[in-house]
Order: sequence, then structure tokens, then C-alpha cells
Amino acid sequence: MAEEIVIPRWKQWFEGIGDQVSFFFKFFRNIFTGGFEWSEFVRQCYEIGYRSITLVGITSFIMGVVLILQLRPTLVAFGAASMLPKTLSVSFIREIGPVIIAIICAGKIASSIGAELGSMKVTEQLDAMEVSGANPLQYLVVTRILAATIMVPILSLLGDVIGLVGGFLALNIRDSISFTLYFTKVIASLDFSDFLPAFIKTIFFGFAIGFVGCYKGFHSNKGTESVGVAANSAVVTASLWIFVIDGIAVQITSLLFYK
Amino acid sequence: MKNLAEQRKTKDKPVDLKEIVVSIKGLKKSFGAKEVLKNINLELKRGENVVVLGRSGMGKSVTIQCIVGLLKQDEGSLKVFGEEVADMDDKELKELRKKIGFLFQSAALYDSMTVRENLEFPLTRVLKIKDQQEIDKRVEEVLVGVGLSEAIDKLPSDLSGGMRKRAGLARTLIVQPEIMLYDEPTTGLDPITSREISDLILEMQKKYKTSSIIITHDMECARIAADRVVVMNDGEYIAEGSFEELHQSKDKIVASFFKDIL
Repeated sequence: MAEEIVIPRWKQWFEGIGDQVSFFFKFFRNIFTGGFEWSEFVRQCYEIGYRSITLVGITSFIMGVVLILQLRPTLVAFGAASMLPKTLSVSFIREIGPVIIAIICAGKIASSIGAELGSMKVTEQLDAMEVSGANPLQYLVVTRILAATIMVPILSLLGDVIGLVGGFLALNIRDSISFTLYFTKVIASLDFSDFLPAFIKTIFFGFAIGFVGCYKGFHSNKGTESVGVAANSAVVTASLWIFVIDGIAVQITSLLFYK
Repeated sequence: MKNLAEQRKTKDKPVDLKEIVVSIKGLKKSFGAKEVLKNINLELKRGENVVVLGRSGMGKSVTIQCIVGLLKQDEGSLKVFGEEVADMDDKELKELRKKIGFLFQSAALYDSMTVRENLEFPLTRVLKIKDQQEIDKRVEEVLVGVGLSEAIDKLPSDLSGGMRKRAGLARTLIVQPEIMLYDEPTTGLDPITSREISDLILEMQKKYKTSSIIITHDMECARIAADRVVVMNDGEYIAEGSFEELHQSKDKIVASFFKDIL
């Protein structure tokens, strides 16, 4: 009777890293080789972007409202109620908006890509595509990763605006401030260095969400249970990556802009 | 516009029925410590239907996955059209795959696409056909061939098991492969639909002059479709011959497959 070969966990971990690096290079190679799948890319932009607008909008609106309601008592106690628009806008645009929206997108987009590709693997659709001579990486992976990389920053911008509108409405529950005055204060308090680094990091968030979703789905095992595992693992890993990227981005931004 | 069979006749050289299209010698494949293929030897001639019989988990599907390059053998030689598959680079493998049709056990239809889009996919992505009229004509013709014209705009989730197999078969035939690999084409189907699919395999083989390897447990399918039957046990082919010859076999394992056949 043949003995089962047990691969040590550390070796599996390193193999996993190697697989991810290889997948990353395959993705880049496939962007530039062969034809680009425009129709699938547009469809993915619609699926990832348009279909996430409601979720991102509601979440951002609530975040804007909640932040104002939470900040107000503290700032009022210090006699700084007039600082509310500035505090909200800087915290929301720099950090809270991009990260919260990226986490929401990780939950929605990474899990959906992971589950979709995972179920395609289980039902042999990926193999069918490969044996037909088509390129599943080009059709499925490149389009999804690029769509996520482009749509997450756009969703983030939209979420920022909706969050600020939510803040304005929350502010008007207890105080009275005109829409023009509120947004004049918001815009005056924001700087190029608040907006640009935050926007750039959302591009990386989008890439991480698409990449992790595709990798987990593409490398899931062949069993129905693996679909759930791929989706779950995609969300957890993408969320972790968002915080790692955010940490690195904040360090770089601090060095470059806030000396 | 000529139909697919006519196109093949004019496109191809005269069919040499002695030409060996797949040649497997001493094929071995292991997964971890489990040796699935121990010593596989097989030749598939042009225009021939070979049925591989064997119990589940004996490595039947692994053999055809090696033929199409989805898996790589550990040892032995596997040549398709005289070329060693293991030595092929990605580009050569892609070219080879254009000549091979693979019908998966589950049919593996792309479930986000309609039947029409499933059939158009290999035409536009693999054969790079741009002319929509030609695409429509091919889709229509192959769907008529498999008797599925009415389901052209349906999603795979709206199809029955038999219809999915037909659609899967249509998708592989639409690129006019020279070799067809069937992985348990009648599994999970009722006896009547199984027979229809087996008849269809034979009909398509005659129409498109394909060479086929059919992996199955279904003896009725083997009886209908096989020119030659190979019996696999414990990673090796243990018997080979026509359906009738093997039916008379005294070998215990071979006889166990044929015991319910009258």
C-alpha cells in the first residue's frame, strides 16, 4: 500500500507565494499578448462598477451621517463645531472613504469573482475553455482584474461625494448650515495632497480585489465545497491586502507630503 | 455555402484510415504516491472509434486529459499527429487543441452564456472568424445536426441533462476537430437519452470523419459507438478487441463488464 506524501505547511505556504507570483506575471503577459477582450471587459465594468453603486452609495451615506453624529459632541465641547465640515472631509477623503469602500468592494466583488471562477473550475468550464484553444486567463482574469482596478477608484470617488452629502444632512439635524457654505468649507479644507494619494491607493485596492478574487477562484479545488472556500478566502485575503496597502500608502504619503 | 462535412472533404487530404493519429506507449502518471496510470499503450487510427471501459478511479479520464495536454505524463510517450505532446510549448499546444474536441462529463457549458454564445465562443476566440453571417450559419448547422435548434437562445441552466450534452457536443464539433475525446458522455442520463447520445456520437463520427476515444461505463454506448473496445484495470489496458470479441472473453474482469449483456 502506497504511503501518503505529507507536504509540510511551510512548504505549502512558499508554494502558494510562488503560485501567486507566477499568476501575477501571467496576468501581465496576457494583457499585452493576444487580443484584448473588450466586450467582456465592458461587461465586467458594468457588473463590478454599476452593480455596486447602490451598496457603495448607501454605505458611504451612512458613514458620512455617523461620522458627523459621532464627531459633533467632541468638537462642540471644544468649541470647534465650525470645524465639523473640515474634519469630516479630510478624514473621509484621506482615509475612511477609500478604506471602507474598498472593504465593501472586497466583500462584494472579490467574493463574487472567487465564487464565479471557483464554480467554473468545479464544473470544468475552465478546462473546457483551455482545451478548446481559448485562453481563460485572457478572457476571464485580465478583464476582471482590469475592470476592478478601474471601477473601484471610480466607486470610491462616488462614495466620497455621497459620504460628504450624508455629512451635510447629518449636520443639519442639529445645526443649520447652507449647502453652499458646507461645500465651500469642505473644498477649502482639502488639498491636493489629501486627494491624490487617496485616489492612487484606491487603484491598488481595486487591483488587489480583482487579483485576489481571480487567483482564489482559479486555484480552487475541484469540489462544490471549494466554491464557498474560494469566495470566503477571497474576501478575507483581499481585506487583509487592503489594510497592508493602506499602511504602506500612509507611510509613503507621510514621507512625501506631511513632513 | 457548403456544410461542415463537405468543407472537411474538400479541405482535407484523402483520408488514410491506417494513419495513426494518437499513439501512446508506456504511459505512466502518478498523483502523489498513487500511481494512476501504470503502463498504457494505445493507438487510435484515423476515422476510428475506440471505447475505453473501466471502473471508476482507474485513470480513464486521466489518459484523455494527457492527450489534450491538461495533464503531463510522468513517463512514456504520447504522440498526437506524430508530435510528442509533452514537448510542445504553449503555442504548439494551442494549435493542437484546435484539432481536438473534448466533451466533458458535465458538458462544461459556460453558464453565463446562451447556447448560441457558447457555440460562437470557439469560432470567434479560437478560429478568429469575424464574419457574423458565417458564424450564424455554422451555429445553425451544427445545432440542427445535434437536434437542438429550438434551444439556441436558452441558458445552460434552462436545459435538461441530455440537451446539455448535445449542446456540449455541438460546441466541440463546430470547430471541426479531427479527434474527439468523450469523457463519459452518457453518465447521468436516462437509458433513452443515453441511446440518443450514443447514436449521435456515431452519426457525428460518420458525418465529420473524426477519430474518437470514448470513456464510458455504458455498455450500450460501447456497443453502438465502438469500432474497438479497450478494457482498463488498475492503471493498465488488460484487453482489446471488438465489442463482440470481448463479449466472449473468459477473462474474469473483462467478463464482469459484459455479464448483463445478452
